[in-house]
Amino acid sequence: MELAEIFYKKSDFIETTSGNKVCRRSIMCGSQNIVLQGKTIVMADCIVRGDLAAVKIGKNCVIGEKCVIRPPFKKFAKGVAFFPMQIGDHVFIEDECVINAATIGSYVHIGKNSVIGRRCIIMDCSYILPNTVIPPETVIPSYTVYGGSPSAFVEDFPETAKELMMDVTQSFYQNFRPIA
Amino acid sequence: MCPAINTGYQVTIAPGAYVCEERLQLVGEISIGSKTIIHPGASIIAEAGPIFIGDGNLIEEQCVIANRFPSGIDKDQMNQVVMIIGNNNVFEVGSLCEALKVGDNNILECKAQVGRSVTLTSGCVIGSMCSLTTNETLPENTVIFGSDHQRRTMPDRPAFQTHQLDFLARILPTSHYVLKHGTKSHTPAST
Repeated sequence: MELAEIFYKKSDFIETTSGNKVCRRSIMCGSQNIVLQGKTIVMADCIVRGDLAAVKIGKNCVIGEKCVIRPPFKKFAKGVAFFPMQIGDHVFIEDECVINAATIGSYVHIGKNSVIGRRCIIMDCSYILPNTVIPPETVIPSYTVYGGSPSAFVEDFPETAKELMMDVTQSFYQNFRPIA
Repeated sequence: MCPAINTGYQVTIAPGAYVCEERLQLVGEISIGSKTIIHPGASIIAEAGPIFIGDGNLIEEQCVIANRFPSGIDKDQMNQVVMIIGNNNVFEVGSLCEALKVGDNNILECKAQVGRSVTLTSGCVIGSMCSLTTNETLPENTVIFGSDHQRRTMPDRPAFQTHQLDFLARILPTSHYVLKHGTKSHTPAST
């Protein structure tokens, strides 16, 4: 089953040498602190707050429209700081999500309109259903499907999760074509 | 003669407040108290009357604070209604606040929605993705959470965000265009 081709206007997106495609309408605050490893697509109206702390996004990720990726806040003994945030490879984040997580592993699929709470840790190969609210400081184990508000374990994610996510993100990138 | 809908704005910013200019949408007459921090991408829409925002509030990205007339009402017949937001409130990412009176120390979590006829007193927490459109005054320290919108009362009000506000007050001006304090107005050219 092939993904549909999605066309975008060439002038709307910036394409970097490592193949990242970032929409011009997205807000990348503190872009010197934001690392996109390669072949990652950031769609329109996203807000990535690299000014608060470093944000590192892996390769072949897709970040949907209107997402907010924001490093979480932590109170240390000597003061406060925003915690650096890491997103793994082949992560598919659908539209309108709010990501406050500390770490998102690789091969993760986050459904539409989800809220990932502060300092959450999402392990590899998990699936967060759409409209989920994950409370702060939750750890989502690998190979699980979580959903609901507050989120709870729904079912197991099959062991083919890794190949599935690689297939989805790579074919999404190949089908994301520019028209002049 | 019907007055045209005014899409200009007039915002008064107290010293010590930091309002990020990026993707900020302002409509109408707005007053922002000191030590309030507004992240990029927020919208403050004072269509039906002025909005007064108190001190020490934290308004995060994609927030909408709107003073709008209820739909289906003839706008020319209505008087201006003032919307007052107190001190030390937190409006997390994507929240929507249309309540006319918001007290102090409330927290609207991510994607929470509060309708026009609700009055938030102090210390209330509206959980993520919860939507409150009833006609009521929430008692102090009420928490609304979960997809069932369960309620309980906290023994104490939520903690102040002074640490975060101080941190943001230090780093936001270095990486964003920030509106200077004072009064700034903008009237769009009429066509």
